[in-house]
Amino acid sequence: MRVELKGITKRFGSFTANDQINLVVEPGEIHCLLGENGAGKSTLMNVLFGLLRAEEGEILIDGKPVNFANSGEAVRSGIGMVHQHFMLVPVFTAAENVVLGFEPTKSFNRLDHKTANAQIHELSQKFGLDVDPDAVVENLSVGLQQRVEILKALSHDAELLILDEPTAVLTPQEIEALMEIMRSLAKDGKSILFITHKLKEVRAVADVITVIRQGRVIDSVRPTETEGQLASLMVGREVNLTVQKEATQLGDTVLELRDVVVRDDRGLAVVNGVSLDVRAGEIVALAGVQGNGQTELAEAISGLRSVESGSITLRGQNITNLSPREILDAGLGHVPEDRQRDGLVLSMSVADNLVLNTPRRAPFARRGTRNLSAVASNATELVQRFDIRTSSVESTASSLSGGNQQKVIVARELSRPLTCFMASQPTRGLDVGSIEYVHRQIVNQRNEGLGVFIISSELDEVVALGDRIAVMFAGKITGIVDPSASREDIGLLMAGATMVSHD
Amino acid sequence: MTAIADVFPSVVPVPEVREPGEGRRRIIGALTIVLGLFIIFVFGFGSVSGSHSVVTFNPINTSSGAPWGLSDLTVLTRWWNVVLGLIALAVGVETWLRRPAGALARFGVGGVMFFLALLLWSVRQPGPAPIGNINLTSVLVNSSAVIMVLIYGSLSGVLCERSGVVNIAIEGQFIGGAVAGAMVDSVTNSFWLAALVGILVGGLVGWLLALLAVRYVADQIIVGVVIVTLMGSISSYLNIQVLAPYPNLNIGNQPSNVAIPLLYKIPVIGPTLFDENMFFYVAIALVALISFGLFRTRWGLRVRSVGEHPKAAESVGISVARVRYTTVILGGAVAGLGGVAFIATQGQFQPGITSGYGYIALAAMIFGKWKPSGAVVASIIFGLSAYMVQNLQNSNVPISTEFLTMFPYLVTIAVVAGLIGRVRPPAADGVPYKRD
Repeated sequence: MRVELKGITKRFGSFTANDQINLVVEPGEIHCLLGENGAGKSTLMNVLFGLLRAEEGEILIDGKPVNFANSGEAVRSGIGMVHQHFMLVPVFTAAENVVLGFEPTKSFNRLDHKTANAQIHELSQKFGLDVDPDAVVENLSVGLQQRVEILKALSHDAELLILDEPTAVLTPQEIEALMEIMRSLAKDGKSILFITHKLKEVRAVADVITVIRQGRVIDSVRPTETEGQLASLMVGREVNLTVQKEATQLGDTVLELRDVVVRDDRGLAVVNGVSLDVRAGEIVALAGVQGNGQTELAEAISGLRSVESGSITLRGQNITNLSPREILDAGLGHVPEDRQRDGLVLSMSVADNLVLNTPRRAPFARRGTRNLSAVASNATELVQRFDIRTSSVESTASSLSGGNQQKVIVARELSRPLTCFMASQPTRGLDVGSIEYVHRQIVNQRNEGLGVFIISSELDEVVALGDRIAVMFAGKITGIVDPSASREDIGLLMAGATMVSHD
Repeated sequence: MTAIADVFPSVVPVPEVREPGEGRRRIIGALTIVLGLFIIFVFGFGSVSGSHSVVTFNPINTSSGAPWGLSDLTVLTRWWNVVLGLIALAVGVETWLRRPAGALARFGVGGVMFFLALLLWSVRQPGPAPIGNINLTSVLVNSSAVIMVLIYGSLSGVLCERSGVVNIAIEGQFIGGAVAGAMVDSVTNSFWLAALVGILVGGLVGWLLALLAVRYVADQIIVGVVIVTLMGSISSYLNIQVLAPYPNLNIGNQPSNVAIPLLYKIPVIGPTLFDENMFFYVAIALVALISFGLFRTRWGLRVRSVGEHPKAAESVGISVARVRYTTVILGGAVAGLGGVAFIATQGQFQPGITSGYGYIALAAMIFGKWKPSGAVVASIIFGLSAYMVQNLQNSNVPISTEFLTMFPYLVTIAVVAGLIGRVRPPAADGVPYKRD
């Protein structure tokens, strides 16, 4: 099936998300759509999949114009989409998820489980996608859930498969397996539209790469381009992909975790005996696939979640199960994983967000009354120092871009004396420019003798920043390695292999 | 230092994460033990030595003659209650010490013991009660009306919430069905017609809820409460302006019972289950029908997918709005029929006659874990305790009825707090869905 997008324009109010986009996907082609977050890739795919209506332009399938009123029609025309956030019902079985919307039935509208299972079995065999049809989806690993999504698309006879940021939640080994699947699908004549902002993957698997920036197609290139060239196409200027670091000047231990056990909301011990030290002047990066307890560990350190057993010490002071305020006062700076939910009050001004953790203290408050002029001058200073792009310090935090929101949080946390700086997913969802900036800030803090603890599921980031890399899997640290360790080894640790000590 | 190159491939399997529930099982065990001790010392040793209770099994009045008889049973209150208490105690201790799979069922055993002991204790002679016997059959027969209305209500709740809309307006649909049912039956003298109109009125109230919750994406709880208030006001208005001046619009007919041949003769169970009016049989049929529909058919799979993950449903071409509209209207219709069924057992309509059963039905739905079968079990428990409250009020028993009135709600709080079994509502329950 040959799919052609011609002059697609999609506007949201005055904002143009897609501007005259042209794109052709040939049969059997793996076509990469490369662009930063917010470049308009997902919008374009949602238009193609019938979830959004474009203002201008047309979609041609095998030369014939089509017009999808909803995604059901797109599916019937042979387009399948694997969404970034899986469109799977967690309490249904794999088979129920695959047939949903296209269920085989017996008399009285009864579901025909036998036919459904047979369908899935056949597809699994054909494309090497092994999944137990009767497994309940929420019990499957993320990689397997993704297979269910792919099976779902294939079962609707998809000829074009859209994969929206499919690798964000996978281990390196799972990514390798996914690419294998993509190649075998392409060999079978299926077309694949692969959306990503990760340069390595693009070069490994794509036949054609289309780069999108600010809603426009910038260029269509071959995967023989270097990563640097691709990055500058994507960002629009030269980008420094590596982080410059000097040798470490190690100081005392500032953050000490001993046998920490933390339960999640369901009562499961998702952090199960973690011990780790962070010393002044170094960056310890915690790697791991999302959902292996990193979130809960960060919450426990910052006092947002109670520690069941074990201890957390901040430069000799036991901070286990203290309140967040006490922990902040003890000198922990914290950039939370979900900046919009936990890091900012979106409806409040930039200036107020910049004093969110010190509102009661002089000079921002006296005798229970806020000193607004001190708040404003603090904001003006920080906005300048951290290069926060905002129309005014009185603008609401919600009006800022993701990168600038993150800068507000980083500025706030770094504008007071700290013992240890902890950042969870510090660059998630940021454009390459902002990533560069945040990384530089983090390295600066380390150079000035702060202990830095980074939690990230981006392997590139972990390797670039970490002086030591700890890998977490299923609530335990599976190993601590040098940043010079091979990606494959780190990947294995992320998948649960353990290190054997050879002292 | 550790050499990374030669450490693999010692890939370990994903470690088992400890299941929660240990603490919960202990709580259930402890509660059952407390129940047992309470039975022994209050209902057992709280009865004077030598006092006795009489349990009878024969129905007092049935429409279709006497079934096969069962002779009366005279028991020594103290010792029987001590035995009942010991059973509860033993089950509780077992739940505490060992780890039986069905901790909840064991708590249920404790509950049944408590219920029986309370009955024996309340009629003991010499004692405060004027009549020295308890008729087990009539306890069950008389509570079946409330149980039935709770079944209708909780089925309505199950339907709506499985599609992701909280139907807190069940009480309003009851009221609508009851008013409409009373009037239509008075005019036409046909309960079938009354049922039909009740279904339409309930469906209409459901449509209003769906309109506000789905189309206008309003907060479902607030909308539901407003609808109940609205229906209460409408019924008061109708009562004063129409029913009071024209009493022949509110005659209060009651449908006759239909006994199922042979089965109705079984002692205790027969008169309770097989000698009821048509609404009771319809309720039972609806339980089976809705259970089948939700869990065996394509329609049910789609309804549940919309209640769990509406975006996923939409992405395969299922219209979330349409599914929610139809399911909520259907749920409203079921509750409306419940209102007619209730008025059919109560006689004339009066404002406030539904006395909050719509809310207890919601509690029954939660207790029943959003399943039709569970809703039936919960309706029976709540219905029996509601009956006990009413009955003890009438019989000089020195036990605070206000205390007993709390029971269904205490149970619900325990359930919602997750003390007894894990409850998991549909993931998108009460969350308005908006296409982007």
